[in-house]
Order: sequence, then C-alpha cells, then structure tokens
Amino acid sequence: MDISEQITIEYENVHKRFDTPVLSGVGLTVRRGETISILGTSGTGKSVLLKTTIGLITPDRGDVRIDGVSVYHSNPAELRGIRQAVRYVFQYAALFDSLNIYDNVAMGLEPETLRTLDKKVILDRIANSLENVNLDPSKVLSKLPAELSGGMRKRVGLARAIVGEPRIILYDEPVTGLDPVNAATVNRLITSIAERTKVTSIVVTHDVPGALEMSHRVALLDNGKLRFVGTPEEFKGSDDPLVMAFADRQAAARAALKLIEHETEDNESGTPHAVSIGV
Amino acid sequence: MGRTGMGFARHVGQIALLTVGVVKAVLQGGVSLRMVFAQAYEQGIGSLPLVLVTAVLSGIVTSQQGGYQFSSNIPLYILGSVVTSSVVLELGPVMTAFVLIGRVGARITAEIGTMAVSEQVDALISLGRDPVPFLAAPRVIAGMLVTPVLVGFANAVGVVTGLVSARATMGLGPEGFLYGARLYWHSWDLFYSLAKAFVFGFMIPIISTHMGLITHGGAEGVGRNTTTSVVFMIITVLVVDATFPPLFLN
Repeated sequence: MDISEQITIEYENVHKRFDTPVLSGVGLTVRRGETISILGTSGTGKSVLLKTTIGLITPDRGDVRIDGVSVYHSNPAELRGIRQAVRYVFQYAALFDSLNIYDNVAMGLEPETLRTLDKKVILDRIANSLENVNLDPSKVLSKLPAELSGGMRKRVGLARAIVGEPRIILYDEPVTGLDPVNAATVNRLITSIAERTKVTSIVVTHDVPGALEMSHRVALLDNGKLRFVGTPEEFKGSDDPLVMAFADRQAAARAALKLIEHETEDNESGTPHAVSIGV
Repeated sequence: MGRTGMGFARHVGQIALLTVGVVKAVLQGGVSLRMVFAQAYEQGIGSLPLVLVTAVLSGIVTSQQGGYQFSSNIPLYILGSVVTSSVVLELGPVMTAFVLIGRVGARITAEIGTMAVSEQVDALISLGRDPVPFLAAPRVIAGMLVTPVLVGFANAVGVVTGLVSARATMGLGPEGFLYGARLYWHSWDLFYSLAKAFVFGFMIPIISTHMGLITHGGAEGVGRNTTTSVVFMIITVLVVDATFPPLFLN
C-alpha cells in the first residue's frame, strides 16, 4: 500500500486534563494514506486524543491540524469542511436508536448531498457501503439498530463512515466487545477500506496482533505521552519493557501476574485475599 | 451556597445559549418539519388522555371544595365563577404542565441523556450535524405549539366537569353555574391561561433537552440528570406561575 509523504493530520503539543492530566504534550504526524494504530493501557487518553482530532474534546493547550487547517483556530465553515473530510467510527457504533439502518447510513452523507442527489442514487450508495462491510442491504436496511447483533452494528457504523467517501477515518476501539471471528472481520474491513479508498486511518485499539497486521506505524501512549512510535517491525524489536509487554502476550501476562502479586502482598498487610491467574 | 449559585448560573447561561441556538435554527430554516410534527404528535396526542383525566379531577375537586366552603349568605351561583376562574387561571395550565413534566420532560432528558452517554450526540456532531436544530428545536417548537392546545382542552373539560359536579352534589343547575361563571368572566383570563401554557410549553422542553445534552456518567448519569431535570422543571413552572399574577393580573 502506497502512502504519501504529505502530512495530513498533525497533533502539536496536545495537553488535556480532566481531574488528572490525560494528555501531556502529545505530538504526532500522520501521512496521507497511512494507517496508524494507537495502543496503550486503559485510561491513558487514546480516545481523548482521537476526539481532539475533530473537536469533540477541546485540548487545554496545543493544536490539531488537518491538511494544514487548525481544528481549534478555524471558522465554522472551515470546521465544517474538516468534519466533512473526517469520519469517526465509535467504540459501540453510536447508531441512532430511533432511525433504521437506511437512515443511519444516510447520515454519513452530507445534508447537501441528501437534498440534491436522486433518491435511487442515494439508495445505491447506501447499499454499496453496506455490501462493502459484508452486510446484505435487503436484510438490514429497514431494521432498527436494536435488531442487529453487536458485530453487525459495528459494521453499520463502518458503512456510515465510508458512505461519504471521507479522506480520513478515525476508529475508536473498533473490535472491543467482539468475538475473535467478528474482530478479525472488522480488522480485515479496515485494511480493505484503507487499500481500496487510500483513506488515512487512525485506529485506537487494544488488539495488538490486529494493529501490527493492519498498520504502517504503531504508537504507544503511556501516561499521556507517546512512549513509542514506529513500524510494526520496530515495535516487535523494541527493548522498551512496556512495548515488549504489549508486543508479547506472554510477557504481558507475566507483567500482569507480577503486578497482581505485588498488589496482593501489599494487601496482605491488611485484609488477606487470594488471587489466581492462568497464564 | 457559592457553588450552588455558580451551578445554577451555569445552567441558566447554557439554557440561554441553547435558546439562542433554537431561535437561530428556526430563522435559518434548519428545522425538519417532519420532526416537529412527530414531536407534536408525541407530546400532544400522547399526553391528551392523561391531561384530560387530570382536568376532570381538577374540575370535580374545585367544585366540591368551593361548594363546601360556601356559607349560606354567599349565593351558590358564585361557585360557577370560582370553578371557572380556578381552572382557567391556575389549575388548567399548571396541572397540564405537571403532566407534561412527568410524561414529556422526563422522557426527553432520559432519551437525549442516553444519546449523550452512548456517544450518539458526539456521532451527530462528527457527522457535521448540529444537535440544536436536530434534537432541541423540534422538541421546543412542538412544546410551544401543543401545550396551549392541551391547556385549552384541560380548561374546557375542567369547567364542564365542575359544572356537572356542582349539579350532582350541590344542586346548582347549569343555568346558575353559567350565570356565575359569566358574571366575573374576563376574556383576558383565557389569554392569560394560554400565555402561561405557551411559556410552560417552551420551558419544559428547553430545560429537559439541556439536561439531556449535558448528561455524562452512563446509566447512573441518565438517572441523576432525569431526576434533576424534573425537579428543575417543577420549580421553574411554579416560579413562572408565581410571577404571572403580579405581571398580568394587577
């Protein structure tokens, strides 16, 4: 897969604090057509970083630029332009409960497109995007999100993201909560969408094997800072203990066991309790 | 007190901004008529049976209590005026508002709150849709349209059941009841009643939508904000109700 040298997304010294600091000066550039996965333990600010990309969360300091246009210093028309170019795939799909699948996917099209395009053309585009995520339009179009399985809802979320042919897709934990078969399906879809449409993708995920397989680069976020950014090969060969723990499941399991044993020893001075873990 | 005051001021400011957003959306023609009609149907037709039941009971209770309090030297036909004025000026609008708070306001906060915690509001924004014309404006416009109509029905039903009740229990015939009602009737009273309804019809959806949009913290947050929203709406309705007489009746 070819990727351009042109930078399309630029995070510059992004800081965000809620009760405690979540992002502490994150800087990262993403090139056009690139797929980059962001890894990290829970609560390290991966999703917060992703949401700063389109202004769903405003950083306390720093800036995010898309194709050179600042998300935070642009006028409403520029911000609309940015949002037209970017689509966000939410962790639990975030489909609109009261709308059927046709209307949900149609929301991925611009209001102007919905007003001007012929209804038949709109239906074709919606059906195509559903087929691209391996869903049969004739079976799902009239259904409500609640009538679909979790995996199908995630794929409808993907269809909604691709129907408007965006230049950038942001994936927030796209395989969380899915069984391994559905997770592999979604990972394959992300790869095939990127290859087919040359879209730039940022994938926040806990699925390390999937990330290493589909990404040009992998970033590891730790305590609000980027601890590692590199290719999957560099990630696998890193001697950073945290990267090693992420790259090697056995190492991760051993690290987890060590952590739990340590916590248990601390607790035993108070109320003792038993912990067992299978590695 | 300082923190509570700050919190209250923040809510008022956010509701003011939301109101400006709704007005802008209306002026720019960005509100779907289909969604307004759907909300009007839900808020109006959906609430009508409960509003009518409340109106029937209000009419009966006012008639019974008014009659009980009359001594022999007050002509009984005055009861017609007491029931009509009580229902039209106070009970019709306020009881209808309470029904709408429970049935419509709580639902709006819970529905939009669930959308907020399940990232559906974020999804709307990410898809370039402003939640104000999409979520707030149809509900607010529908509330302002249907609440005066509901109050009109509640007033009519309340007066008629008051009349029936006065005849059945006090022996006051329809002629006497209507004579008393007409004796102290001002056309302004009906306008006053519908104006109150219009304000309530604005306040209930705008507060409930605001409370829904600021919801966070999962299911617990939805429950917490729905409760807060109902309390907020009840207090607002009572405060608005208390400000109406000095402003419009004196």
